[in-house]
Amino acid sequence: MKEASGNNFEVAEATEEARTGSSSTRPSRTLWGDAWQRLKRNKLAIISAVWIILMIIVALTADLWAKPLLGSPTEIDSATMAQNSRLPPSPEHPFGTDTLGRDVLCRVIYGARISLSVGVLATAISTVLGLIAGALAAYNGGWWDTIIMRTADVFLAFPYTLFVIAMLAVIGPGIQNVFIAIGILGWPSIARVFRSAILSVKENDYVDAARAMGASNFRIITRHIFPNSVASIVVYATMNIGGAILTESALSFLGMGVVPPDPSWGIMIQDGQTYLATEPWLMIMPGIAILTTVLAFTLLGDGLRDALDVKMKDA
Amino acid sequence: MIKYIIKRVLQFIPVFLGVTLILFVLQNVVPGDPIKLIAGEKKLDPQTEINLRATYHLIETDENGQAILDENGNTIETPLWKRYLQYIGGLFHGDLGRSYQQNGKPVAEILGEKYPYTIRLAIVAIIIESIIGIVAGMISAIKRYSAWDVGVTLTTSALVAMPAFWFGMLQQLFWGVFLKNVTGGSFYLPISGAGGPQAEFVDAVYYILPALTLAAVSTAYTARIMRSQLLEVLNQDYIRTARAKGLSRKAVIIRHAIKNALIPVITYIGMDFGGMLAGAILTETVFNWPGVGFETYRAITQRDWPIVLGSVTVIVIVVMVINLVVDISYAFLDPRIRLGSSKSE
Repeated sequence: MKEASGNNFEVAEATEEARTGSSSTRPSRTLWGDAWQRLKRNKLAIISAVWIILMIIVALTADLWAKPLLGSPTEIDSATMAQNSRLPPSPEHPFGTDTLGRDVLCRVIYGARISLSVGVLATAISTVLGLIAGALAAYNGGWWDTIIMRTADVFLAFPYTLFVIAMLAVIGPGIQNVFIAIGILGWPSIARVFRSAILSVKENDYVDAARAMGASNFRIITRHIFPNSVASIVVYATMNIGGAILTESALSFLGMGVVPPDPSWGIMIQDGQTYLATEPWLMIMPGIAILTTVLAFTLLGDGLRDALDVKMKDA
Repeated sequence: MIKYIIKRVLQFIPVFLGVTLILFVLQNVVPGDPIKLIAGEKKLDPQTEINLRATYHLIETDENGQAILDENGNTIETPLWKRYLQYIGGLFHGDLGRSYQQNGKPVAEILGEKYPYTIRLAIVAIIIESIIGIVAGMISAIKRYSAWDVGVTLTTSALVAMPAFWFGMLQQLFWGVFLKNVTGGSFYLPISGAGGPQAEFVDAVYYILPALTLAAVSTAYTARIMRSQLLEVLNQDYIRTARAKGLSRKAVIIRHAIKNALIPVITYIGMDFGGMLAGAILTETVFNWPGVGFETYRAITQRDWPIVLGSVTVIVIVVMVINLVVDISYAFLDPRIRLGSSKSE
């Protein structure tokens, strides 16, 4: 993909160089290398990226150290439950313990698994659906365009959170259903972004040239159009992950998302609500986890947008 | 202008049909027979069951509401397309079906009792959003890169990234627990009715925290939009012209810039009113606010589908109508919209 579209990138680079007027001294320059140079200068975006990578590592390796050190995030030890119930933060339990005697830090760490996987998978589902819908609409035009974009209008007419709630009320709670509901209902915005990206790229001469050489539609889309609109998709998807994490926490908070005893941050906040006045750390810690994670994805998305020079309507 | 309005209204119709179709499909693929949800564990005698099915329009009935039987004496199930038409027809009569619980009380009646609370809360939230959002954004733009500007940018980023229900609980913690002596302590507690004769405080007090919570995210967006719009306007040629004419910066900002920057902000706030009706489900759940959102949540937990889908239907329609009105009034305020759109046709 990258190889075939090398020519297109060179065009982009040339104009990029002319625009920024910067260093011809840099050795190798690609769109992504160039973007990386600019991203590196954005401190907030780098801190966000580091935070996200750290979270991913912690979530992936939790079984190796968190479980032996802090105990299981889900299992309840009925023998020690009473004396371990809702302990305040201490060196042994840095975030305290919950009502059933489980370590809150451990549950927050395992909660990252759920939040990150919901964020990434739901975004992946809606991105793929959106790409297909957007490509069909933009490339075929006519009736395809009308029907797909009108359907997108219908989906966008729903207040998003409410739509997800209604859908989950029907298909029932559970983490797979959360993936499906958030993923399926997110496609219209990505379809719009990709459709307009295609429509603008389609006008370029190199697309005509490819067509003149006998390239099929599929080839033109995958080899020429997609690589040239991938920047806007990457930015959009990054920001979307944060939104999906927020939606998952809201669903779990309402009891319609992840099913206990799985440690979702939304569920933990819901559990902590009862003890707000006496043991506030129960709801504060998972909330901080949500806040920092979502903020990191938003700021990284902002940074990528500036670095890749993507113009977005509402940023 | 009239042409634009007609075009916009005509666009509204297919979206309306699509939205109601989706809601109807959701309502009718819900797992579980409605009659079982109504009756629970107890056994119904056949006649009661037939009557119930007739009440909920699940079987064909004559004009007296009696079930029509086929030649074998069985009831005839109403086909889905017919039920969809009945549902659409019902919507126009304000009929949203009947609750599975609460003795089959009409959904429209239940929601009618709850709506005033939700709307009042949304109005208070809109006022907070407009004042704080616009003023904060304005100062940010005028004093760009100042400590205030950085503070506003950080605060708005954080507000947008945190769950609204968590923000509400943090406020309960701050005002109700930490500042217990100052605030009297109890007004943070979840309340099951705003005010009333038994209430400890005047009604207005009960609005403060829920309204702040409901307004939080929107206030952040309002401030951001206000800031970026004002900055953009301040870069325009006519602002430079006004300055060149010798008007002071203050006069230019007040007389020229703010007026033009406000148009998109007002549009956003207008559309947000609909969003608040929808977003209220989380805020109302945190504060036990007796509005539509809390009723919807309660209905979800008790599998009372007609209420869930009835309230979603009403909210979606309200949001769509508000967006339509905002679009049209935007075209009034900004001629570029209607001219641009008629040119592109």
